[in-house]
Amino acid sequence: MNNTAVLDQLDGAITALLAEPDVAMPHFDWNIGDLVAVAAELRLMPSPDFKARLRADLMRQAVTGAIPRNGHFHVWPSELRQLTSGAGASQDVLPTLFGTGYGNYPVHRASFAASFVMHAVAMVLLLSTAVWMVQHRHQFKQESVAVLLEPYVLPASPRQSGGGGGGGDASKLPASRGTLPRSSLQQLAPPTIVVRNAEPKLPTEATIVAPPNLVLSEAQAVGSPMSKLLVPSNGPGFAGGIGSGSGGGIGSGRGPGVGPGTGGGIGGGVFRVGGGVSAPRAVYAPDPEYSEEARKAKFQGTVILWAVIGPDGRAHDIRVSRTLGMGLDQKAIEAVRKWRFEPAMKDGQPVAVQINIEVNFRLY
Amino acid sequence: MSVVEKDTGERLLIEAAQRDPTRFAELYEQNFERVYAYIAVRVRNREEAQDLTAEVFHQALAGISRFEWRGAPFVTWLLGIAANILADRWERTSKQPEAQTDELERAGVEDKVEQRAMLFQLVDGLPEDQRHVILRRFVDQRSVREIAQELGRSEGAVKQLQFRALQNLRMRIRSSHE
Repeated sequence: MNNTAVLDQLDGAITALLAEPDVAMPHFDWNIGDLVAVAAELRLMPSPDFKARLRADLMRQAVTGAIPRNGHFHVWPSELRQLTSGAGASQDVLPTLFGTGYGNYPVHRASFAASFVMHAVAMVLLLSTAVWMVQHRHQFKQESVAVLLEPYVLPASPRQSGGGGGGGDASKLPASRGTLPRSSLQQLAPPTIVVRNAEPKLPTEATIVAPPNLVLSEAQAVGSPMSKLLVPSNGPGFAGGIGSGSGGGIGSGRGPGVGPGTGGGIGGGVFRVGGGVSAPRAVYAPDPEYSEEARKAKFQGTVILWAVIGPDGRAHDIRVSRTLGMGLDQKAIEAVRKWRFEPAMKDGQPVAVQINIEVNFRLY
Repeated sequence: MSVVEKDTGERLLIEAAQRDPTRFAELYEQNFERVYAYIAVRVRNREEAQDLTAEVFHQALAGISRFEWRGAPFVTWLLGIAANILADRWERTSKQPEAQTDELERAGVEDKVEQRAMLFQLVDGLPEDQRHVILRRFVDQRSVREIAQELGRSEGAVKQLQFRALQNLRMRIRSSHE
């Protein structure tokens, strides 16, 4: 008998064995008789992964103490049959899922389903949150808070106030010495020493803008109290008034007051909150934008601005009192410049006041 | 390994498993094939034999703390559990056993259990391609043609692998008896 014939005869005998196990085998050639006997013994060989899965089940029982119902955990034998008939590869890929190998336990269907659902929900939430944040990134990244420091920091002192003013008519000489005109909270005509229009159509008393309870000297000649010059001159300033400043006041400042400050009043500077001067209140305060540089660096901090809030409700003369850098100072100034205020009030009249504005830049 | 050494080793394993049930795995590895073969000879159905084998080992693990060493091999205790489970099964299903125990013993089948257990272990030691053919042919009951298509080889090549695998197993059984 040639080799091919032996192989065919052996395979035929095995096929018959598998088809009808209880049928008696015919006599075979001595060459394959022993092999058919071995094949007959192999018919009931356990599934290749059965031993490993049973071991895993036993380890689960050893750890949890749970005794499986009817001698086995619910994962087999039905699942085992499915797995051994074609899912061997998946067991190798995910041994922890299929519970193959030492120390791996088969997964409960209910636990697996619950875990899958929870993970799916978590992923959906995570993704939707991420998408929403991307769509609203500007809203988040440019979030900042601006706080007006002044109403909270400055005490309402009855004596503190400030201000100033200045003027002139571009004379070559400095302003003449003299006393201050009557003070008023509303200026109709600026004070002058050299009268250019001797016959005005509507004569009006020249005043300065200053607290009305100001006590003045009894001298008659109007002029700058700080000057020593006796020759009549309105001073080298401009826009009316006396001195080297501008704005219809007396002195080197700007505005209708007296002194080196601005905005009316007397002294060095504008009115400050207190002493009968109310604080301005922001009525329109858009948030400042974040600079690109600071956003990339995730830079946060606070800029403090110094500003004069005029009677028109706008911020003037904005300066940086505490810098932050990375372009945030400029962004803060640009934002505050857009703000609109209900101006500070002094005896019922809007006046310019100096306040500090704190602009916080925070990334959320 | 002498009988005394084997008994001592097995006893130590049993005591270890009684203290720590996870150590039962070693006893399981040593006795799985014999218990399975004992049951498979009697029920002649793979799925049923697997279910009953699993039940035997689960009961054994649950009762390992009550086991008392009396000098008999541990497998004897396991086979006792298997015999009880088989008896319960036959009683529960009112079904005659496929092969009566007396008949089996008269036929010397108990000796065959040892041989079959050894054969199942030997399959694992075959070269991978031969082992694959044996598992697909006998466990999954695939035809030579199906296996050939799966492996991308000719039917003749698969028949040759089947032949060599059986030859290998026969040779190893003989050498283990010598």
